[in-house]
Amino acid sequence: MEMLFVKDLESGYGEMQVLWGINLKVEKGSITTILGPNGAGKSTTLKTIFGMIKPWKGVVEFKGEDATTLPPHKKVEEGITMVPEGRHLFPNMTVEENLVLGAYTKRAMDALDKSLDLVYSLFPVLKERSRQKAGTLSGGEQQMVAIARALMTNPELILMDEPSQGLAPKLVAEVFDTVLKLREEGLTILLVEQNVYASLEISDYAYILNEGRVAVEGTVDEIRESDEVKRAYVGV
Amino acid sequence: MAFFEQLASNLIYGMLLGGVYGLATMGLSLIFGVLRVVNVGHGAFIMLGAFTAFWMFTLYSIPPIASIVMALVIGLALGYLIFMSVMRRLLDAPELSTLLAMFGIGIFIEELAKFFWGPDYVGYSWNIGGISFPITEIPFTKICAFISSIIIAALLYIWFQRTKLGKAIRAVVEDREGAMVCGVDVNRIYALSFALGIGLTVLSGVLVTLFTPVGINVYMGGDYTLKAFVIAVLGGLGSPWGAFYAGFIFGLLENGSYTLLGLIPGVEPFGLTRFVSFAGLLVILLVKPTGLLGGE
Repeated sequence: MEMLFVKDLESGYGEMQVLWGINLKVEKGSITTILGPNGAGKSTTLKTIFGMIKPWKGVVEFKGEDATTLPPHKKVEEGITMVPEGRHLFPNMTVEENLVLGAYTKRAMDALDKSLDLVYSLFPVLKERSRQKAGTLSGGEQQMVAIARALMTNPELILMDEPSQGLAPKLVAEVFDTVLKLREEGLTILLVEQNVYASLEISDYAYILNEGRVAVEGTVDEIRESDEVKRAYVGV
Repeated sequence: MAFFEQLASNLIYGMLLGGVYGLATMGLSLIFGVLRVVNVGHGAFIMLGAFTAFWMFTLYSIPPIASIVMALVIGLALGYLIFMSVMRRLLDAPELSTLLAMFGIGIFIEELAKFFWGPDYVGYSWNIGGISFPITEIPFTKICAFISSIIIAALLYIWFQRTKLGKAIRAVVEDREGAMVCGVDVNRIYALSFALGIGLTVLSGVLVTLFTPVGINVYMGGDYTLKAFVIAVLGGLGSPWGAFYAGFIFGLLENGSYTLLGLIPGVEPFGLTRFVSFAGLLVILLVKPTGLLGGE
């Protein structure tokens, strides 16, 4: 079943168009990755799907229903959330306050206990840190809080914008492990990454964007073999 | 020791007035913290509160302290109206647009008030006695204003810490995008915070008149706009609690310096207190640019 279906999506900032007709699909229970060079429109794609940036044209369907113009808070109520680039935690609030704010919608409050159990089983360290201010945690721990806060919204689809950014290699591997565990929990993930090979390692399907359009798409094996990837990332 | 008696009594007044200054600045800080909008029309809303107290007392003999409820309701409604009609459309515009819009709205309110109420100073006389100390007598009206400020600030604090909406406002202040991914309707929080900020400001206008019951005039607000900016910066812009504490500092500084300046021969102290307050502001900004109480 298709969790997310995006057709001919166009958007941008002010007068500047960034997306020139993005087409993509995300299957339920899959990890789908969007790759591409800087400025290709990867983050813009996620933000437009989530509604942070208004779509100019095109369609966004979630579980078969039109969600093109739903604002972010309504998307969260429907079961989509985002782990934004740069984490965007509430630094002066405790870890626990951050997590409880994740359970803001009615949908999330109904599942509060279940979500907390899941979060603390995935990230036991956050339980120890629950009374600590989020801004005082290490980068890796902050990334855990950002993912945990997203889980607290009781989502079906998580849009992840560069979760490994700025982390030490060991922590990068941990983040990718976590993403795999989320899929095991039945969640669907649409991932934007700079870290090409590590993200292909865990993905089911991938899209490569270039200048606001999908240049190549395919299963991970197909993508690995494609000339586009070699040209863009290996430099042959 | 007449001097020390005078200093002590001025400092007591400074503290009482400081509480009201603090409350009067919380709305400004809240609006800046949440929406990043500088309410340069602040004083006009203080003036509306002052006239609310005046008319309620003059027409219906309602004690000014009871008018704070009326003023809060008027302010909330007015704030919501201004947000929905003007500010909502300007949120994505450059910051100068919202600044000019608030400036224009402030002038519009003042001129409209002048049209209906005239340009003259008005006042009321509400005498409910006072407490006599050996050095001075403090009217109950000022004590009422002070205690009201503290109670209102404390209620707000609890509301911000405990309620879901209060937490959502704090979340938007700390990180707008973070609040969005939690499912907070950011536009609704903007509307609410703006209404609450204006509500608090109009309410404070009532308390201000308890200190200057005969100084009510449609242009009285300018002075409070200036003071509120100083206090807001002292408290760390965008932090209502910082603003509340900074109000005390400002009140003490203003009234304390009045006494001290009076000692200098040939100096007219009243004209110089403002100089001292703003000089103090400059010094603090040079030493600690994030504001005296703005830690982060």
